[in-house]
Amino acid sequence: MTPTTTPEARTAGSRHPPWTPVDRDRARRRWLSAALVTPALLVAGFVVIGGIVMSVVQSLGLVPLVGDPQLSLDAYRATAGELVTGIGLSLSIATVSTALSCVIGLTAAVIITQGRVTGRIVAGLSAITIPIPHLVGAASVGLLLSDAGILPRMLGISSGDWPDIVGGAWWVAVVFEYTWKESAFVALVVAGVLASRVAQYDETAALLGASRAQRLRHVVIPLARPAVIICAMIIFVYTLGSYEVAALLGRPYPEPLPVLAFRLFDSITLTSRPEAAAVAVVTTLISLVAVGAGMALLRRTPLWA
Amino acid sequence: MPMMVPYGQRITPDDRTTGARGLMRPRPVDRTVRIVIAVLLSVWFALPVVPLLLWMVADRWSFPAPLPTEWGFSGAASAVTQGAVPAFGRSLVLGLVVAVIATPLGAMAARALTKGSVPAPRLVSGILLAPLALPAFVAVMGLTVVLLRARVPGLVSVVILLVAAAIPYTVYTMRVAYAAHDMAYEEEARTLGASRRHVLWRVHLPLVAPGLARAAFLAFLVGWSDYVITVLVGGGTIVTLPLLVAGSAAGVGNSATVAVLSISAILPPLLLLLLLGRFGRRYPVSNLPGSGSPRSRSAKGFQ
Repeated sequence: MTPTTTPEARTAGSRHPPWTPVDRDRARRRWLSAALVTPALLVAGFVVIGGIVMSVVQSLGLVPLVGDPQLSLDAYRATAGELVTGIGLSLSIATVSTALSCVIGLTAAVIITQGRVTGRIVAGLSAITIPIPHLVGAASVGLLLSDAGILPRMLGISSGDWPDIVGGAWWVAVVFEYTWKESAFVALVVAGVLASRVAQYDETAALLGASRAQRLRHVVIPLARPAVIICAMIIFVYTLGSYEVAALLGRPYPEPLPVLAFRLFDSITLTSRPEAAAVAVVTTLISLVAVGAGMALLRRTPLWA
Repeated sequence: MPMMVPYGQRITPDDRTTGARGLMRPRPVDRTVRIVIAVLLSVWFALPVVPLLLWMVADRWSFPAPLPTEWGFSGAASAVTQGAVPAFGRSLVLGLVVAVIATPLGAMAARALTKGSVPAPRLVSGILLAPLALPAFVAVMGLTVVLLRARVPGLVSVVILLVAAAIPYTVYTMRVAYAAHDMAYEEEARTLGASRRHVLWRVHLPLVAPGLARAAFLAFLVGWSDYVITVLVGGGTIVTLPLLVAGSAAGVGNSATVAVLSISAILPPLLLLLLLGRFGRRYPVSNLPGSGSPRSRSAKGFQ
């Protein structure tokens, strides 16, 4: 080998200092990438990490409105009873809404990807649902399902005979609103995945003699599964931590976690801020566990690259 | 064995033979089931919007009547007296501000992540997606203390929190856009002597414009439809459209006002969605004669 080597050969040998053009370009690109990612990272990191850390700190009594900071679990102890009912209620609402949304959304996605006129109508109607704010959805569901709502009028049922759907014991209107909005979300995401990936596999399976049911069971659903799991994770966390729908369509007691946290946060009692923070911390923990479970499920899915 | 088809002979199977073939056999039962499911799904997605459309134009609608007993626009009038117009303006500005900030932030981060030169990429994309996993009220309740003590104005706090909530959507949308983006166009423009700024404005941004439009739409939606962050941070001082909707929906006897406010909260994003569907498509570069990706051309020509 001659003493005058090319830049490529020099970078390959580790003896040489890293100021070759290639190295400099790579370092420059790394800096540029870091600079590009930093603003978004700062905002997201500040809100997420700051939000969690400050909630934990406040819930432990370290940032009282008056008096000296003192480490204690009083906030958790004071809300223990409401916290337990809130956890049960929020978990039930989130689980039922998520499951129903995924089933209805997946069905809609399959109908949409059939590519006929019916599919296009369903696609259009579900797409219209997407930009409707949840709060507006809740207001509208209230007008539809309350005892003076449109549905009892249409069906000719008097308000006395109409069941307590809005503000009733079973939180039907709340679950209905979440399922309505989120099934459209599932349909949109899953139909996108199916449209881009499933058509060829589906045709191949059909040519190889698979029946419709077999294709649905062995081709369509496995291909849609990663997308459905991701959607389920997002929906579960959203419905667990969402305030306005449960506040508008639910009943005053028992309260789901976000409603409980809101009431404590707005309360004039001095000890209630740490209690609101304690509810927030518990909600965050459940969300993180749900996301962790979802990721574990996703990793066990064969199609997740 | 190759099958010879004589010129002019019909090779599409006729009705008698298709009946025996699995793929082309008509299935009246399957078809009916599919149509019934499609109708049920259409009702499911459309039904909750119906009360808004009816109540919007109802002056009076006493209970058992299946349709409004008096039609009119008193709901709109009462919405205006409640301050619907300035609230509409505030929501619009809030949505636009969030979109204008969150879209470039998301696009920059997505570009860096797609190029694969970011340190600790998994951690970085995890943090960028994390606002999806954190309930908004937790972030607000945690950070109000910090933001208040730092004397950050309420409106700025609302914008920071909303931008953070929008970042997962913009980053994800732009990552999808950049994954399909062909960097070779930019390299070719640079080779042909265009400056970096020129490449950004004349090549890079036009190519990812549809992705930017989708990302901006989602970010706008976050700002436009937010209730929790505005009400918790602003304490009711920043009155946006969702606050008015919540206020009148919590009361009794003003269904027409609720309907008018709700419809005016749905229309702008719906119009944007339609515009997005109409103009947000990728420019059909590959259909132009003699064009095509520089990458594919160089692959053909030089390798």
